[in-house]
Amino acid sequence: MALAQRTGRSRHRLILLALTAITLLTVDLNGFGPIESAQRVVRDVLDPVTSLAATVVSPAGDAWNSIFNYGDLEDENNALRAELEELQGAIIRGEADTETLRRLLAATDLAYVDDLERVTAEVKYGSVGNFDDHLITINKGSRDGISEGMAVVTGAGLVGRVERVDNATATVQLISDATLFVGARLVSTDKVGLGHAVPGEAGMFVIDRGTDYPDTDDPTLLPEIGSRVVTAGESSFPADIPIGTVRSVRRSSDEASMEVQVDLANNVDDLHFVTVLIVEPPSEFPLGPIEAPGGTGAEENLSETDEIDETDETGEDE
Amino acid sequence: MTVLKVGAVFLVAIVMQLTVFIDVRVADVAPELLALVAVLAGFLAGPERGSTIAFGAGLLWDIWLPTPLGLAAMAFATVAFAVGSIEAGLFNDSRLQVSALAFLGTFAAVIAYALLGEVVGQRGLVDLELLRVALIAGVLNSLIAPFLVRPMTWALSGPLTLGGPAPARS
Repeated sequence: MALAQRTGRSRHRLILLALTAITLLTVDLNGFGPIESAQRVVRDVLDPVTSLAATVVSPAGDAWNSIFNYGDLEDENNALRAELEELQGAIIRGEADTETLRRLLAATDLAYVDDLERVTAEVKYGSVGNFDDHLITINKGSRDGISEGMAVVTGAGLVGRVERVDNATATVQLISDATLFVGARLVSTDKVGLGHAVPGEAGMFVIDRGTDYPDTDDPTLLPEIGSRVVTAGESSFPADIPIGTVRSVRRSSDEASMEVQVDLANNVDDLHFVTVLIVEPPSEFPLGPIEAPGGTGAEENLSETDEIDETDETGEDE
Repeated sequence: MTVLKVGAVFLVAIVMQLTVFIDVRVADVAPELLALVAVLAGFLAGPERGSTIAFGAGLLWDIWLPTPLGLAAMAFATVAFAVGSIEAGLFNDSRLQVSALAFLGTFAAVIAYALLGEVVGQRGLVDLELLRVALIAGVLNSLIAPFLVRPMTWALSGPLTLGGPAPARS
């Protein structure tokens, strides 16, 4: 009898906890302000503790990496050495190229290089759990003028966008996350489309929405292999931030639209410093509703549309 | 007092997760310390108290995870309830059995977290990687579990019971 009462009480407790969790999930998914504020307060309160602890335990982490990731470090070292030699050659050529570069910048209108207010931040850490590979945390936050949706870049190009902001830190969703959609412009053809990273293929980005395949076989209408891809002026990012270079172009499965594969300019797996562009993202998703190419699975279409709508909603909230 | 002690264990676990286990990973998988706290809470404190403590551990972890608040809390509470409901007679509380329970509990917690995440629309959680992550996290937690039994037993106000019956278990 007592056992049955105890079991019943435990079940009631579990049901109560499940209902509480469902309530929290519902309000959090709807962006309920006080819940987000409460989470931010907890993270801010614990930030000095984790920072101090990180300093204390960092030798242990370094030791672990040096023991178990020695091969990777050696490869990285060799790659850096090769890159250094290349850069030394580039410096010699650099003076001659400066004028060309200036013209190129003017032609492609990379205004973000000079004109935008920016905040440079250090990457505090990468993923904290096992399901957030495409997030990094930086050591600058709302007190430095950073807010959600701002573009994060390095000298090489787009890194991602600010996903969550605390007082002293911010979390960045990397461009390697396939759920992050970016409005992209193909510089060689001036066409604009919507792209995202390819899951499971590091450094690969694909523009597969909004770009029609030319009706004629004229190759000049296709983007040149190796040509630059930058953020579109109509996207939620500032215009003309480098995304990468065109690797290949092909017809998509529906035969009507174009699928452009792009090598990302940034290696987001190895970031130490980044720059946040202090530009408020537009309040509405600028590219508008983009119809997914036909012939793909209904589930995929729905989810990608959801992502676009989600961005739109976020913007409207702001 | 017990709440404060459990809070202290939570604090140490979250700080270690956010510092030590950022770097210390095996095959790019980190231990799931908060899940381990939840599993041990279910084991040591029984289904009722254990699931409540596990809910708190999950809620704390949710604050740092990119998924919505309440997801890990629900997964951890459910697993702690299941662990706590296992008949006490099945266990002699040996270290090996604690490790086995930590492995199974963590595996279940990670899978439950991912499945619940998919249910509420968090894409990309359930794939082939999930099994690998759950297995490695389970193994890592099973290695850590014997070291966490003592602080958890302290936090739950009972003496260490490896080799004897669990005191806090109702």
